[in-house]
Amino acid sequence: MASEPEPVPAAAPASSPAAEPLLRLTDVQAGYGRAALVLRGLSVTVAPSSVVCLVGPNGAGKSTVLKVASGMLKPRSGQVVVDGVDVTGRTPQQLLASGLSHVPQGHSVFPEMTVAENVLLGAYSVRDRSLVAERTEFVTSLFPLVGERWGALAGALSGGQQKQVEFARSLMVRPKVVLLDEPSMGLDPKATAIVFEQVQRMRDAGTAVLLVEQNARRALEAADVGCVLDLGRVHITGPAPDLLADPRLAQLYLGGRPKEVP
Amino acid sequence: MTGALFAQSLVLGILLGGLYALLAAGLTLYFGVMRVVMIAHSAFLILAAYLAWFFHERSGLDPLLSLVITVPLFFVVGYGMQRFLVSRLRPISLTTMSVLLTFAVALTIEGLLGFVWTGTQRRVQLEYSGTSIEVFGVSIAVVKLIAFALAAVSLGALYVILRKTSFGRALRATTQHPEAARLVGIDTDRVAGLGFGLGLATAAIGGTALSLDYTIYPSLHWHWIGPLMAIIVVGGLGSIPGAAIAAMLLGVAASLLQVPLGTTWAQTVFYLALFVTLMIRPQGFFGGRLAQRF
Repeated sequence: MASEPEPVPAAAPASSPAAEPLLRLTDVQAGYGRAALVLRGLSVTVAPSSVVCLVGPNGAGKSTVLKVASGMLKPRSGQVVVDGVDVTGRTPQQLLASGLSHVPQGHSVFPEMTVAENVLLGAYSVRDRSLVAERTEFVTSLFPLVGERWGALAGALSGGQQKQVEFARSLMVRPKVVLLDEPSMGLDPKATAIVFEQVQRMRDAGTAVLLVEQNARRALEAADVGCVLDLGRVHITGPAPDLLADPRLAQLYLGGRPKEVP
Repeated sequence: MTGALFAQSLVLGILLGGLYALLAAGLTLYFGVMRVVMIAHSAFLILAAYLAWFFHERSGLDPLLSLVITVPLFFVVGYGMQRFLVSRLRPISLTTMSVLLTFAVALTIEGLLGFVWTGTQRRVQLEYSGTSIEVFGVSIAVVKLIAFALAAVSLGALYVILRKTSFGRALRATTQHPEAARLVGIDTDRVAGLGFGLGLATAAIGGTALSLDYTIYPSLHWHWIGPLMAIIVVGGLGSIPGAAIAAMLLGVAASLLQVPLGTTWAQTVFYLALFVTLMIRPQGFFGGRLAQRF
């Protein structure tokens, strides 16, 4: 596999308003096996250098959006476009090459390998050694802890530290968009704060982030754009601060889900 | 037991343990990477032993040279078996169905061996078959020493492949977290196929080593699969170092117990160890957390 050209490392102009979205899912329908559809015509876009957050109740299809985007699940219909290229139905390997990196839910480090092995496996598809060295330096400067625990077994780290290793691993391909599936799951408040701070750091380093979170309030505080999912569709979308102030959000999350009554 | 007898049994146990270690490494590899219980592992072992014997019968050359043919052959067969048989099983029932599938493969191999070479017992006769060397009063058969050396070198090679190569890292990643492995761009299906090939290649080497020192017959594989299965559970399913340590310990124990108990009863040490493991430490004594997920 050839080494792809390096994306612009420094922060691209964060707010070029008419910028073509880096990732666009259009009218996606997807589900598992013969079970009912999980996503029923979902559309979402991620602009360059932005953090987009999907929030919604359990079973709304948040993780499924990420699985479709990264090629782990083929959509029944609809379109996935990365940086202007239609990538619908491609494998995770191919999508990695087109600039999408996915950090799955829960612990996903390789526990019986060292932090170093974990991070370097992130560059499994990169053959150019100097590029790997350069990116290693980049991720260890972004996540100093990764460098400090370089020789340690990944499984021996705390949950929050493991997340950082996973983040570092996912950045080794210098993706255009990183997909993060509930990065704060199972972490204590302090580790959660660090994780969200690092999400912003990824964005500042020029990587767009599509984030899925259960912890809606905390996630929207870290995001630029929020999308509220319910029953497989985006119900509300808008600037994250607006959503935080929106009474409908409070209703959806804090006051039960009255809309579900037919 | 006299000191000399003890020393003799100990050395024999270590030599046997080496062979067990190599074979158990292959068996635990299938399980680690693919969650496959490979009952046919020892049938392939006996097949390789037959091929070594047949090679020697026909060519008159040393049976060890048959490795040049059987190792690549078994590697390819293993790859094919994973891609065209095992991978067809539904993921949800893979482990249980793999028992049935590979049981059928074992019976097929046994049947074919009987069909082609009859049930007659076979043995390789070499000039050095009867020779032994004496070290500190312990006499060691040269063939056992060769078998041990072969096993040790192969285990070492396996270790280097898994630790130092890009393929080895991909294989360990696939074992430890298949989903994350796919997400970093590893073709886990291909890795599983190659891992299966690697496991079967250990059976080719083990079978050749076995042919030097054992009388072989088609149903001999049943004598091997039980102890090997016990070893990988005691060592911790999926853990190659665990399998090697358990193989060595149990091999030595079985060898030492042969003196007071006789061959048949000494074999029970494998099953006793299995029962004890399942009762007090079901994830195995030397293994990782892999087995805990079951």
